[in-house]
Amino acid sequence: MRRVPPLIWAFLLVPLAMELAFVFWPAINSFYISLTKWNGVGAPEYVGLKNFQNLAADPIFIQALVNNVYWVIGFGGASVVIGMLLALALNKPRRGVGFYRSAIYLPMVFSLTVTGLFWRLLYAPSGSVNGLLGLLGLGDWQKQWLADPSTALTAVLVAAVWRQCGYIMVLYLAGLKGVDPTLEEAAAVDGASRWQRFWRIVMPQLRGVNAVVFAVTVIDSLRTFDIVWAMTQGGPYNSTQLLSTYMYQTAFTTVNLGYGSAIAVVIFLLAIVFIIGYLARASKTED
Amino acid sequence: MATKTELTRRTFLSGAVALGGVAALAGCVTSGSSGGSTKGSGTGAIVFQNSESDPDPKAALTALVKEYNANPVGGKITMNTVATEQFRAQLSTYLTSSNPPDVLSWYAGSVARDYASKGLLLDLSELWEGKGVASKFSTALKQLSSDDKGRQIFMPTDYYWWGVFYFKSNFKKWGVEVPTTWDEFISLCDKLKGQGINPLAQGLSTTPWMASGWFDILDLRVNGAQFHRELLAGKHSFDSPEVKKVMKYYAQLVPYFDPNMGSYAWQDAVTPLVQGKDAMYLAGAFISENVTQNADDLDFFSVPVIDKSIPSAEEAPTDGYFASAHSKNKQSVMDFLTYMASPKQQEEFIQKSKSSNLPTSPDVSTSNFSPLVQKGLKLLNETKEITQFFNRDSSDALQTTADTALVKFLATPKDVDQILADWQTAAKKVWNS
Amino acid sequence: MTTTDLSHSAAARSEKTHKRHPWVFHAYMAPISLIWIAPMVFVVFVAFRSFADITQNGLGALPHSFSWDGFATVFTGGLVSQALVNSAIVTVFTVFFSLLLSSWAAFALSRYEIPFRRVILLIMLAGNLLPAQILLIPVARITDSLGIADTLFALILVQVAFGLGFYTFVLHGFMRSIPAEIFEAARVDGAGELRVYLTVVLPLTRPSLAALAALATTWVWNDLLWALTVLRTESKFPINAELLNIQGGYVSQWNVVASGALIAAIPTAIVFFVFQKQFVSGLTLGAGK
Repeated sequence: MRRVPPLIWAFLLVPLAMELAFVFWPAINSFYISLTKWNGVGAPEYVGLKNFQNLAADPIFIQALVNNVYWVIGFGGASVVIGMLLALALNKPRRGVGFYRSAIYLPMVFSLTVTGLFWRLLYAPSGSVNGLLGLLGLGDWQKQWLADPSTALTAVLVAAVWRQCGYIMVLYLAGLKGVDPTLEEAAAVDGASRWQRFWRIVMPQLRGVNAVVFAVTVIDSLRTFDIVWAMTQGGPYNSTQLLSTYMYQTAFTTVNLGYGSAIAVVIFLLAIVFIIGYLARASKTED
Repeated sequence: MATKTELTRRTFLSGAVALGGVAALAGCVTSGSSGGSTKGSGTGAIVFQNSESDPDPKAALTALVKEYNANPVGGKITMNTVATEQFRAQLSTYLTSSNPPDVLSWYAGSVARDYASKGLLLDLSELWEGKGVASKFSTALKQLSSDDKGRQIFMPTDYYWWGVFYFKSNFKKWGVEVPTTWDEFISLCDKLKGQGINPLAQGLSTTPWMASGWFDILDLRVNGAQFHRELLAGKHSFDSPEVKKVMKYYAQLVPYFDPNMGSYAWQDAVTPLVQGKDAMYLAGAFISENVTQNADDLDFFSVPVIDKSIPSAEEAPTDGYFASAHSKNKQSVMDFLTYMASPKQQEEFIQKSKSSNLPTSPDVSTSNFSPLVQKGLKLLNETKEITQFFNRDSSDALQTTADTALVKFLATPKDVDQILADWQTAAKKVWNS
Repeated sequence: MTTTDLSHSAAARSEKTHKRHPWVFHAYMAPISLIWIAPMVFVVFVAFRSFADITQNGLGALPHSFSWDGFATVFTGGLVSQALVNSAIVTVFTVFFSLLLSSWAAFALSRYEIPFRRVILLIMLAGNLLPAQILLIPVARITDSLGIADTLFALILVQVAFGLGFYTFVLHGFMRSIPAEIFEAARVDGAGELRVYLTVVLPLTRPSLAALAALATTWVWNDLLWALTVLRTESKFPINAELLNIQGGYVSQWNVVASGALIAAIPTAIVFFVFQKQFVSGLTLGAGK
């Protein structure tokens, strides 16, 4: 057992102290506020678990929860699959690959207000999506994508996935750099199919990246806010409401901070369950 | 051992360097604290936190503040503009901070009264008495600006009206006239629809509160201002027979709305109006900020009377300022508010902001205002009752229940009874929370 | 060795295939990347239209006008040049200190037997699990009570604190995969912890630090929420917060919004292009290649 030198303790404790002061202390405050009724002024009024009981009976919260599960699977799944495919396609150095990589990452650079605006226009009744459908002879499929409660959430999801792909692609590009090409070639010589090569040779070497991507995806899925808010603000009548948009609405539009904090606690617990469960298992196998 | 002591020294050195760097950083990036007032003098510089970020009104305010700072009566003004949504999110933090902004722009209503009841707002009553700048303002405005104890905590400086806006040239082209009764209004809509024009424009996509515009006006026409205020205060239920009656009239309008209204934000819906695809738009006078070409072509009429026995009422949201009770320079605040509410400055603001706002001071000469604004003023002067708007008269929380209910109604008007019942359930939750 | 010969010929074979049909690659990548570039084209269009044109013809229409109004309003209607400076200050300091502190914590947790190190790492990551919006009011109060409210220093402090969990988590992964022999060799040479950190760890994690620096720059530069929480005085706002204040509560002049968005996007785009190669070779978790 090596004694840990004091410098190393300092190395750990300075950042940890900062995070405790500016992240955990406010977080604990928020957790406390979730047990109260408060509108930002005066003293919070302690109400115990009442906010959580109200949440359980709140149809909007239930809808947001259901929407968010759909979102985690859809947004998470699609952005990871597409991101990975793009990374596989753009992995090898060749002419133009830098341009393509940059193009796909570009949406991450632009403000979400503008991105939301752009997609609202694409989905507008006379916008490009309907226009394209018309050209393809699928005129029957034209609709008001963002105004129709049955399509709005998926429409926003497409926009969010489109944006997230660049980020995931970058993560996988990096991971693929650490994959040994000789192993793959050897397997090819041995007659392994592309699919087998990918799953048996490449994927295991991506285990580290997969952990990061999983963490990133779960966190981003549960915290998605800006793009939904910019496109629909949770409407039409709560059909695109996600947990963080509902939380924002209760905390800031209606200034019911206790209730909003309760929703935040739910988001936090969901994230903990996913992440800690996965990572604790992963890091055990690594050690 | 030698290595260990070296390390310990190194540890402290590197730590000290880091901390020192951070402290130096703090020194060089911290500009002077906001306000910079001399304690106790009461006449030092003050901070004006502004939520009016629309381009022209903001430019007008900036000009007014600049003029004041050239010859300030009280302390100099530092103006900060923060977009409305974020301003609202931070409002409680602003007012409860150790160094609050001195003057804040907002509107009167439940929010202001709530803050006043917690002692966060400065008592402005002295400006409403004797020779105070607001002493000649109407009783309605005084009542609007008062808290539960009867003290004035708000200084209204401008307001605007809601009306059905249209383009005169388009009406001429279609050969139609402004309706004076409800039946005439409905047959006008029929005629326009027959000509392939959408009679009513609307934009609900990211601005669902527009649906409350028609709800409010119809409630005022069918049940009167008294009932409307009580409804929004929770004294009547949303599935009462009176509200059901309002929804019957609203249902008459549903076939006349632009079918794409769910995909437009309120501002996007001005485009079909300008292009002549839609005919009329019930909106606030802020719509004129969007019409930069052919501004003279824009005109409005008030939603026609439905029940002649109901006293006339219109919607006229009022904007203005309140001040923090913990301001360190109360005299400067009074001086600045006196300046902003004076007839001359009100007139200047309205002209520079190019929006169709009306002055609260009766001493403002209106002869220089555009015909549209003069017509709006006439409308409000001749009406018996004035209400603000759904969220201002009730609360933002109740507004979200209205948004859900009314947007759903516009999509599926047949389910009106269930929608109203759900609305009442949601409203009850708001009242009980 | 046979394997190398085989792998060489296999690699040569696939390279030949690609060389013979490069157009296949471009044929499917070009349209795909168009999908991603389209919004930028749209923003450029809108930025150069006049507001009257937008109202008249709709936001989605092809431009019927050409005007510099959008850009002119951005620069005169708001404190944009000051805001760009503020953004630069905040971004540079935040990224530097975030990576410095998280490299410290990652180093400590990955190479030393600190008790409960796995738990501590997960706790640090957990700091990123809460949606930032709910922390706005407590953080605003904390900065107020510390007396640093409405300062760029507080904004830097808050943003550094918020990034620590994620960056530490990522850097931890890299540092763990550095072979132990390198550390043993350094220790045998008599190097102390600080020297090991400076001469062994930092150079080996430079690619990942560069990658995180580029990502962090994008995130901090694009931040809106923290700026509006911690800051109140308009002259201290960073660029994205200031651009929001150029939009209206009722009316938004879209050409102004688009111009502002372009101006704000250019620095991050430049940083991305510059760091692009680092990105790709940086975040490898099976390091040492």
